Amino acid sequence: MNENYFGSALRRRLVFFVIAGMFVIQTFQLVNMQLLESTEYEKKSERNSIKTVSVKAPRGIIFDRNIEILVGNKPSFTLQIIPSEYEKKNTKIIENVLNVDSGYIDKLLFRYRKFPEFKPRTLMKGVSYKVIAWLEENQAELPGINYIVETKRDYSFGINASHVFGYTKEVDDKTLKKYKDIYSFGDEVGFSGIEKNYEKYLRGKKGKRFFVVNARQKIVSRYNNGKNDIPPVKGNDLVLSLDYKTQQIAEKLMQHNKGALIALQPETGEILAYVSAPQYDLSHFAGVTSSSVWDSLRNDKDKPLFNRGTISMYPPGSTFKMLIAIAALEEKTIRPGYTFNCKGGMQYGNRFFGCTHYHGVLNLKQAIEESCNAYFYNLVLKIGIDNIDKYSKKFHFGKKTGIDISPEANGLIPSREYYDRAFGKGKWTNGYLLNLGIGQGEIIITPVQLAQYTALLANNGKTKVPHFAKGYIESKTNEFFPFEFNEVNAAVSKKSFKVIHQAMKGVVSSEKGTAHNIELKNISICGKTGTAQNPHGKDHSIFIAYAPSENPQIAVVVIIENAGYGSSYAAPVAQKVILTYLENIESKRINLLNLKRDDVK
Amino acid sequence: MKIGYKLQDKFDLVVFVTVIILLTVGIFSIYSATYNNPAAKGNLNKQIFFIMASLIILFFVYFLPASSFRIVSLPSYIISLLMLIVVLVAGKTIYGAKSWMSIGGFGFQPSEFAKIGLILFPAYWLSDSRRDINNLKELFYTVLIGLIPIMLIMLEPDMGTAIVFGIVSLVMIFWSGLNLFGIFVVLSPMFVLFASLFGTGPFIFALIVVLAMLFYFKQNLFISGTVFVINLSAGFVFDFMLKFLKPHQVKRLLTFIDPGSDPLGSGYNALQAKVAMGSGGLLGKGFLQGNQTQLRFIPEQWTDFIFCVIGEEFGFIGSMFVIVIFLILFLRLLNLTSIAGDKFGRLTIIGILTLLFVHYSINIGMDLGIAPVIGIPLPFISYGGSAILTDMFLIGVVLNIYKNRKHHV
Repeated sequence: MNENYFGSALRRRLVFFVIAGMFVIQTFQLVNMQLLESTEYEKKSERNSIKTVSVKAPRGIIFDRNIEILVGNKPSFTLQIIPSEYEKKNTKIIENVLNVDSGYIDKLLFRYRKFPEFKPRTLMKGVSYKVIAWLEENQAELPGINYIVETKRDYSFGINASHVFGYTKEVDDKTLKKYKDIYSFGDEVGFSGIEKNYEKYLRGKKGKRFFVVNARQKIVSRYNNGKNDIPPVKGNDLVLSLDYKTQQIAEKLMQHNKGALIALQPETGEILAYVSAPQYDLSHFAGVTSSSVWDSLRNDKDKPLFNRGTISMYPPGSTFKMLIAIAALEEKTIRPGYTFNCKGGMQYGNRFFGCTHYHGVLNLKQAIEESCNAYFYNLVLKIGIDNIDKYSKKFHFGKKTGIDISPEANGLIPSREYYDRAFGKGKWTNGYLLNLGIGQGEIIITPVQLAQYTALLANNGKTKVPHFAKGYIESKTNEFFPFEFNEVNAAVSKKSFKVIHQAMKGVVSSEKGTAHNIELKNISICGKTGTAQNPHGKDHSIFIAYAPSENPQIAVVVIIENAGYGSSYAAPVAQKVILTYLENIESKRINLLNLKRDDVK
Repeated sequence: MKIGYKLQDKFDLVVFVTVIILLTVGIFSIYSATYNNPAAKGNLNKQIFFIMASLIILFFVYFLPASSFRIVSLPSYIISLLMLIVVLVAGKTIYGAKSWMSIGGFGFQPSEFAKIGLILFPAYWLSDSRRDINNLKELFYTVLIGLIPIMLIMLEPDMGTAIVFGIVSLVMIFWSGLNLFGIFVVLSPMFVLFASLFGTGPFIFALIVVLAMLFYFKQNLFISGTVFVINLSAGFVFDFMLKFLKPHQVKRLLTFIDPGSDPLGSGYNALQAKVAMGSGGLLGKGFLQGNQTQLRFIPEQWTDFIFCVIGEEFGFIGSMFVIVIFLILFLRLLNLTSIAGDKFGRLTIIGILTLLFVHYSINIGMDLGIAPVIGIPLPFISYGGSAILTDMFLIGVVLNIYKNRKHHV
């Protein structure tokens, strides 16, 4: 054989080097990929195949001051739609089953078009069992439609308190952008009332569920049998200062009225009952709020969505007389024994300012008991605008109280500057002040300001910011953490307060007192009626009160719109609220700081 | 005639055992790759059936008389050509290539079986002692023998297999004793073609280099002129070739350069394969535990991307084990080229070695990101009946040549 070419040994060596060289290159690359860079590839692989689904946390329960449940949670079905799997031909039938307008699904898909296709969007919340059963039956023909079980608010515990609790809404884009790490689209966020103000306590912490997905992002199984899942942490329970029984009675008493009712503890500022009437039915807000519900609430002439307790502004009427009296006493303009002869009103300049009756000669106590206007017309002229302004400020009128629901209005107390601005310097006379003396005219206050004022009167000028929340129960440890609220003071001498106490006690207990009709045998109530003139209709009936007079436990403000005299409408309501609270106060007292697990239902 | 009584004397255990190990690895890998894929579950049983059938073929071939391969070499080559023509007319298009034929509901790839003819016939042709490969005319015929089936496969078009066939033919011609000028004649057109891909400047430069080389070899003017014309025309082959390359093949070649550029397009497979390999780490994620594999991130993983199943689930240790087994097989085959009794045997074995080695290098290179993604199977491991039957037939030929190494026909 002719081997006289190129050298067979050389050829073999060449092939050997190619084979060995390939082996070396491959080994080198394997070392590189599987040993040196493996963690990087591992991460890529994990990211590839693990999908995180966040699990919504149930919101915290809302309790009353005695750990009675006020707002709870109940299971709710939420339909979801996954655009990457969804088949458009099913749109019509789904819209039919859900009983929504045609175009609902298209609109929804369009709204969330920027999110990844394989991410589920909330199609509808609070779906009925019937729809779920239908979905289960037809699941095979309805790709991209599924449901999850979530919780929604349960308001079936006998308390509505719509303006206190407020409601949650789907998080809006702005909030979503701001709190990226907390919310994701479709989440519920407190939108009004307590739900809004205490959102960070109530919302809890979302859990995470890990799923193994394939290349098309379809879920194959639970990752590691769910062992790595992070369960959601339920929101912290909130303990409100509301008293279940008192609140219930208050709601019942106010249900056919328009107006506001606020009862609080004078010493602590803790609100025991709060009603803005008319209320709205919170259960409409638990799932999806249909647009028809929204429209009917918005168009209701009684404005049920309006939180009268903090936003509505009323003239305080005769309830303002105590402030005028205190100003006069403090400024030593008069002594309590100062008398004035009411002749059914008072002439000022060329105008006669009328009184309700012909009262005759009255001292200060009598003037308050019988609510004599003439006495206060006279008094207000003596103290002047600057003192009205000064003492209004002392009692914190004209500015927000800082109550823990929002929004809140400022109200208005006219001052010298105000009149100068409104009418021009020197172009207004003291005649303008006369109405202020009886809480009419330019002066307007919110019910919560009036409640704070009543608390200050009851507790000798010392209270705290009116508030609903006592504290929260940490959901993991069941430990109670109280909230602290600032003190609110009215620097007025005890002596002056004592005069006012006596007078307000007389309003109820004296034969001639304007609220004698609500006198109780065993509980002595201090109160003051008020009738606020209203250019739009009948007068508003106002009553402020506290009891028991020797050691006030409850202060109440009742305003009933367009009802008439304070004594006939508002006062009986206040009386029943006081009675209810004081009757139940001793039977239940839970020391929250020693709260045990069993106490929390 | 001397007959050895030891088994190793009649039967090369190194080749046989390594192949059996690789087949076993293949079964486990296919089991894993199809485990979570109901649609592909049947592939494991089919593969086991093909392995059984191929073992029968292997032993049948092993026991054939030594002369039978020379006798069948020309008919097998002609049958291969016929099949490749028939498939172009009546074949089934799968993944953009008309490479499948179906007889009685039984699909197979003629290009796989053509490997037998393409190795046996050139080996027979080149081993003819009257033939002088360094004669340009003889060289031309020899190249033509290799080029005809390659052209037919390129028409399918199955670039991967065509490249493999081209390399096999080249190595066999080289092995038959081509001198330097012969090597120059065969390789220079490829050099010019490659240069032409980079534009006119490099193309002209390459032609000047060829001219310089022709002066160096000092062949007669006719030969030099012929070689130059061949080189010149090679420069225009690429444009001509583009007509055969399907867009997906062009894309595959381009994404080889930068697989990350298009992670969800055609670079996707290469990237996912790398992620699967890399995430295996030292010991792997465990059998059936590889999430890349089990979640079907790599489509049709039981065929071309089978190696990353091993890489992901058995890690560096598993990968090294497989490439060491291949190394042993290849070195043994190389060793057998000098043990073989005659030139036909030597050329046949080097052809088989080249075929398996090129398949192996490109296939594993895809998973490691060092070779373009061209779909060719990993010998003995990838799923595929035609490939298994052909490869095992060829191993039978090797074992037969080893058995008859002391005979001189």
